[in-house]
Amino acid sequence: MAHPGQDPSTGIRNHIRRLRFEAGEMTQQRLAEAVGVSRQTLNAIEGGKYSPSLEVAFKIARAFGRPLEAVFEFSEVAGD
Amino acid sequence: MQPSFEERSVWVQLFSVILVLGGYLVASARLMRAGITEIAPFVPLFSVAVVLLVVLLGVGHAVAAAMGKPEKTDERDRLIGWRAESSTSWLLATGVVGAIAAILLRGEPVWVAHILLASLFVSEVAKLVVQLVLYRRGV
Repeated sequence: MAHPGQDPSTGIRNHIRRLRFEAGEMTQQRLAEAVGVSRQTLNAIEGGKYSPSLEVAFKIARAFGRPLEAVFEFSEVAGD
Repeated sequence: MQPSFEERSVWVQLFSVILVLGGYLVASARLMRAGITEIAPFVPLFSVAVVLLVVLLGVGHAVAAAMGKPEKTDERDRLIGWRAESSTSWLLATGVVGAIAAILLRGEPVWVAHILLASLFVSEVAKLVVQLVLYRRGV
């Protein structure tokens, strides 16, 4: 069973929801604008429905002022 | 959550293509069943369909834009477009092969043209449906 924020197909999990909360309940819209994607895409990333490119992943991390591994983590998908 | 402008645009395209191009193909099938095999009677019908398609797409996109500020296309939109295109392009290729077969079998030009149009219609509708599925289900 995948965790919330985990893409079941890639095993990439993210902590965007928590980081937004810690950043003063930053809105998805504001983060999406900082990153340069649509709010729907940011929502899909946060919900684990889409794994972003490395470029967008770095931009998300930069928006929080955190290293990449504080935002995204990787765990092996069963069967790989 | 409200769909993005790109997703709304896909809905507009799907609705327009099914209504106009689908309508044209149904009307054409009736003409061919009535024994009309000359290209000429189909030209005005096709011209009206093209104009109607452009108008419907224009109005549809204006409505889609009015529903919410259009965002710029991003990497997810492009990935969804590429995946949908690559998974459905074989439909158009099949139609092209079918049209070549019709030429080799000395089929009427009207048949060749409509095999190509029908395959374009089917592949476009399939691509748009796959795009909508990927937007909803995730990529």
